[in-house]
Amino acid sequence: MIKLPHVLVIAERPDAIAELTAGAAGLAEKVTLVYSGAREAAVNAAAAYYAGTLESHSFLSYLPSIAALVRELRPQLVLTEATKNGRAAAAAAAAAAGTSVQTDAVSLSLEDGRVSTQRMVYGGAAFQTQSGLGETAVVCAAAGLFEAGEKQPAAQIFELEPHSAGVRLLERRTKEEKSVNLNAAKIVIGAGRGFGCAENLALARELAAVIGAEVGCSRPVAEEEKWMPKEAYIGVSGVMIKPELYIACGISGQVQHMTGVSQARTIVAVNKDSGAPIFEKCDYGIVGDLNTVLKALIQAFKK
Amino acid sequence: MKIAVCYKYVPEEEEIRVLDDRTLDFSKAQWKIGQYDLNAVEAGMQLAEAAGGEVVVLTAGDAAVDNSKLKKSILSRGPSMMYGIKDAGMSGADSSATAKVLKAGIEKIGDIQLVLCGEGSGDIYAQQTGVMLGAALGWPCVNAVSSLTLQEGRLIAERSLEHSVEVLEVTLPAVISVTSDINIPRIPPMRDILGAGKKPSACWTLDEAGAAVENGTRTHSILAPEQTDRRRIIFEDDGEQSIHALCEHLRKII
Repeated sequence: MIKLPHVLVIAERPDAIAELTAGAAGLAEKVTLVYSGAREAAVNAAAAYYAGTLESHSFLSYLPSIAALVRELRPQLVLTEATKNGRAAAAAAAAAAGTSVQTDAVSLSLEDGRVSTQRMVYGGAAFQTQSGLGETAVVCAAAGLFEAGEKQPAAQIFELEPHSAGVRLLERRTKEEKSVNLNAAKIVIGAGRGFGCAENLALARELAAVIGAEVGCSRPVAEEEKWMPKEAYIGVSGVMIKPELYIACGISGQVQHMTGVSQARTIVAVNKDSGAPIFEKCDYGIVGDLNTVLKALIQAFKK
Repeated sequence: MKIAVCYKYVPEEEEIRVLDDRTLDFSKAQWKIGQYDLNAVEAGMQLAEAAGGEVVVLTAGDAAVDNSKLKKSILSRGPSMMYGIKDAGMSGADSSATAKVLKAGIEKIGDIQLVLCGEGSGDIYAQQTGVMLGAALGWPCVNAVSSLTLQEGRLIAERSLEHSVEVLEVTLPAVISVTSDINIPRIPPMRDILGAGKKPSACWTLDEAGAAVENGTRTHSILAPEQTDRRRIIFEDDGEQSIHALCEHLRKII
């Protein structure tokens, strides 16, 4: 593969900075980074442009500087994180480069210098394959598109200038930190309505602790029953996961949930209803009582 | 204040069929207003009702732009007038192309102080058209807005990010994309559904709007995913033997 001359990465979380710069290094001769947060988070870049800690400005105030940087550097690819700020930055970069953004890319390939990506459309019914037409492609990378590698501190750090951009930050409120990190988990346990009540989820958490898993849930558990936070729900409009092992407990297997776990290597289903659609879409299934099965699994794996 | 809400009509998801060659068949699918755009219409109505003003709606698309059922559906939610830009090339237009066409529409309508969009379209959900429209107009644009109020003539937006919420004062004119939890869109009463048919609308060609469809990306294919063949080894009871056998399989993975 012939590498691209230059990729501009725009990211804010330290993990994402490490992943996107590692991915960019595989695609390009030169990597430039735009980032915010901790100053020392700049890695794997020949030059890094720092937007500060965002205490007194919205990231939106840096978009004019980012657009100017895109016009000046004319990178062949701009890679951003699929966060709200990443999407806004991608739009600013695309407008500056006269192109559109390829968002939520779950795969990326390079052929004859053209960047092609795949993304999910129509609520998971299909994948769209697209490529950029202009000199610069802009891609908003879905979580997990690249893996972090070795981290070398960035060679040079420059300050990025904030502009008003028509927005003034009056206050920043911190959201409660979510402990769920389903994207990175190797094993995920999915909790469905079959648990009956929020208290019973303790069994799922206990099994998770024993086998080193994260716990997610189906949409009704988060949005209707509110037994778990919205961030924990797995499905097309929630979190899409690709663990080694997914254990669905008390989940019937609606299409939109199953699309969210379709990339799991192995799917195990525990459900008391032998007619549940999930038994058609799993590798191993057990028809039975959740309490009985989970308790037995906890005992078995404690040893 | 004059507010324009942009919307997209999208196919009813359940009525899309997957054909044997994994392509999608939309011929049986009805059109509907994108679900996230309904939040934008509702946000516009609430602002106008609280602070005074007028809400109009704008869409760009192909043949169904002036479909009377869709027109009634959007106008029954309160807006006073519907504007459409119609061109066959709009089917499959990407977010940059759409933003430029909508920009022409906003300028032709004239006197707009605030543009509202849903966070993403109901079909593609790239979450780009709103922010690209802001960039095309050269107006401030804010995405992920979960609360929007006018306080003494100042537009105050709460922007809901992954780990924090920004409270922002936004200079008008501006483009705002609202999240799906900003409000619960009203269900129009029969009176408004009937009244919607009498509201005015305008449908322009690209030429009349002074726009062109210029895509920045090319779509090569839209295909249903290949189904992964699962082993489907099912234990029909939760007795000791079944659980033991399941554990044996799991031990190879965990």
